[in-house]
Amino acid sequence: MEEKKVWFSNERVWFSFFMILALTLNFGFFIGELDDPQHHNVFELFAVIVINMIATVLKLGDRTQLGPMLLATSLVALVQLVSASLVWAFAVHVNDTGLTPSVMATIVSLSGGAVLANVISVILLMIETTLQRR
Amino acid sequence: MHTDKPESAKRHDDLSDDPMNTTSDDLQSSTDKTESFSSEEPFTPQTAMIMRRMRTPLLILISVYAIAVLGMVLIPGIDDHGNPWNMTFFHAFYLVSYTATTIGFGEIPYALTDAQRMWVLCTIYMTVIAWFYAIGSILALVQDPVYQQTRKRERFKKEVAGMSDFYLVCGLGETGFEIVKALSREHYRAIVIEEDESKLLEHNIHSLAEHVPVLIADAAIPKNLKMAGIADDHCKGVIAATASDEINLKIAISSKLLHPDGMVVCRSDIQSYEENMLSFKTDHVINPYRTFATIFSMLLHSSSMYMIFNWLTGAPDCRLSEIEDPLKLNHGRWILCGYGRFGKTVHQTLQKHQTRTTILEADPAICEQFKEDHAGQADNIITGSGVDETALNNAEIEDAVGIIAGTDDDSNNLSIIMTAMQMNPDIFVVARQNQRHNTELFERSKADLVMQPREITARIIRAQLLNALLIPFLNKASERDTQWTNITITRLIAVAGECKPHVWTTEINQDITPAIMRAMELGRSIKLDCLLTDPAAKASKLDCVALLHERDGEHQLLPDDDIELQAGDKILFCGKHDAKDAMQWIQQVMSSLNYVMSYESEPESFIWRRFFRKKKAGERRNRPR
Repeated sequence: MEEKKVWFSNERVWFSFFMILALTLNFGFFIGELDDPQHHNVFELFAVIVINMIATVLKLGDRTQLGPMLLATSLVALVQLVSASLVWAFAVHVNDTGLTPSVMATIVSLSGGAVLANVISVILLMIETTLQRR
Repeated sequence: MHTDKPESAKRHDDLSDDPMNTTSDDLQSSTDKTESFSSEEPFTPQTAMIMRRMRTPLLILISVYAIAVLGMVLIPGIDDHGNPWNMTFFHAFYLVSYTATTIGFGEIPYALTDAQRMWVLCTIYMTVIAWFYAIGSILALVQDPVYQQTRKRERFKKEVAGMSDFYLVCGLGETGFEIVKALSREHYRAIVIEEDESKLLEHNIHSLAEHVPVLIADAAIPKNLKMAGIADDHCKGVIAATASDEINLKIAISSKLLHPDGMVVCRSDIQSYEENMLSFKTDHVINPYRTFATIFSMLLHSSSMYMIFNWLTGAPDCRLSEIEDPLKLNHGRWILCGYGRFGKTVHQTLQKHQTRTTILEADPAICEQFKEDHAGQADNIITGSGVDETALNNAEIEDAVGIIAGTDDDSNNLSIIMTAMQMNPDIFVVARQNQRHNTELFERSKADLVMQPREITARIIRAQLLNALLIPFLNKASERDTQWTNITITRLIAVAGECKPHVWTTEINQDITPAIMRAMELGRSIKLDCLLTDPAAKASKLDCVALLHERDGEHQLLPDDDIELQAGDKILFCGKHDAKDAMQWIQQVMSSLNYVMSYESEPESFIWRRFFRKKKAGERRNRPR
């Protein structure tokens, strides 16, 4: 009940902040030449994963109408990003193939999927916010 | 009775008005609530609760891990050749994972520098504390009473949703528990609503053969009844057996409104409530006092009739030796102590049997009233409680045949019994027991008959649910003379032997007796005799007796063996449990029925039937004419 009255509450700020940060960082990692390891920083991927995890946890138990949808998009993004990082770890440490263009392309396209999921997530957030303001 | 009719009718109107309104209001609000509930909350309350509570611990864990991993990656190290080396995320995550969980594999892949070790120190304390916090939160949540309540409710709802046909028993008192026990023994499912959780411990409900879901809630609230599946199609009947008449009334109303087709059985000891319940077509209202009066009437009629009643309605597991020897009753004057609700009903019974009664009543006002109402009749009333010798002397106990201790106080009743037995050792003693925990005292008191309201209610409800034909049987049997009951009891003893006879009902229909229905389609006439023949050796009979035969609402007591069966007939049997099992073969398996009726056995399976048809082509199967 209280959440509805003060929609721009503290919790809401952090919620939106992490969701948008997840999108922007993800986009930052994704942008650049698809198969060039120089354009995609490993620290950025790490940050994207951590921020996405936080965003997912914040969505847990969100009791609004779009709560389940938001949670689903976050989970999709997380699956994509974790598989990207697994591909990275596998190529570098297990197979010793190193970051060849084909490996890099796989990683970056996986994170591209996560970008899409995060975009949907932010759009849903915007829809929800407008609905609540009315 | 006639004088206070207008007043009681008025009271009954008031009563029915009030609960009706409250229940319908409650209903409205409860449906509103459930609707809004389902549209706004995608998760069950239980999951939502876990998710919300786990948010902070999870956030802390993620942040701590992230900081630890990042630190390990950023701090430079030295590899085994002395070259500067930075840990990759993979190695850092590996190291943090085994450190945080206190597994501690060591310094992998290369020995750490002191700078790295310093960071590992920080990592250990940060992560271990974060884990403790997370685990602590989970434990706190699991122990939270609100959480446990929601979890139980959720589980209960799931159980109710997954139930096939069941009975809803409201109130787990002695009556309720007896009913649940009887239902479970016959492999019927039951659901219980009880407000007092300690009753669960008192009656070990988990020791029953069937699992019984229990809802700890107030049965007077329709929402709770709904949760317990009162409106469910699988709910075959509702038994309102709580201690309060008012709650029973509310349950009956809710049941009739929420599930009009369902059967409702109510316990009630106040007449206005009883009339109210019957006014909206409650199927059966059981009044323990009146029921006792009926039983007492059977006893006055003949002791063998009482024995038949005791046998057929008793708990299914009691042995014959536990049932007392035939009670010996002489005709003569009775003394009745206490003229309240119980006393009045018993007095009416005594009057019906033309038995002279002396009444002892402590309240002078009631005595005056009695004298007015019964002026000119043989029965007299004496003011006095009956606990002391003077009152009993006044009532001339020496030449009375029986005494009924019927006050609403157990100590008084026990005192009356003991004094009376001292003064007249041959007297027949009937005692009314009010409190359950006094059972042992009443057993020790050597009263010939103890009236326990809860036990009596349970008996009748049990009979009503499991073998509804028992009630008309007992009513019809009570009308017969002593000779008839003596013959009947001899027959029952002959078939049942040592154990208490088992009572069961059979209806001739497609589900219960497919073989008989098939034989009827073939144009054969099936007599009751067939059902009573042993399917293993047709020369002998099964150990059972047909007690009652019902057709189109007509009841026939002890039907003849050559009665011809029709679809829709209901027959009440009594006998050994083995006989019931054997009878099922005749009812369901064509070859057993054919054997019993001396027909040639017919092919049953698909292939066999085809085979026979070919073999006997053109040839008519031999059918007796």
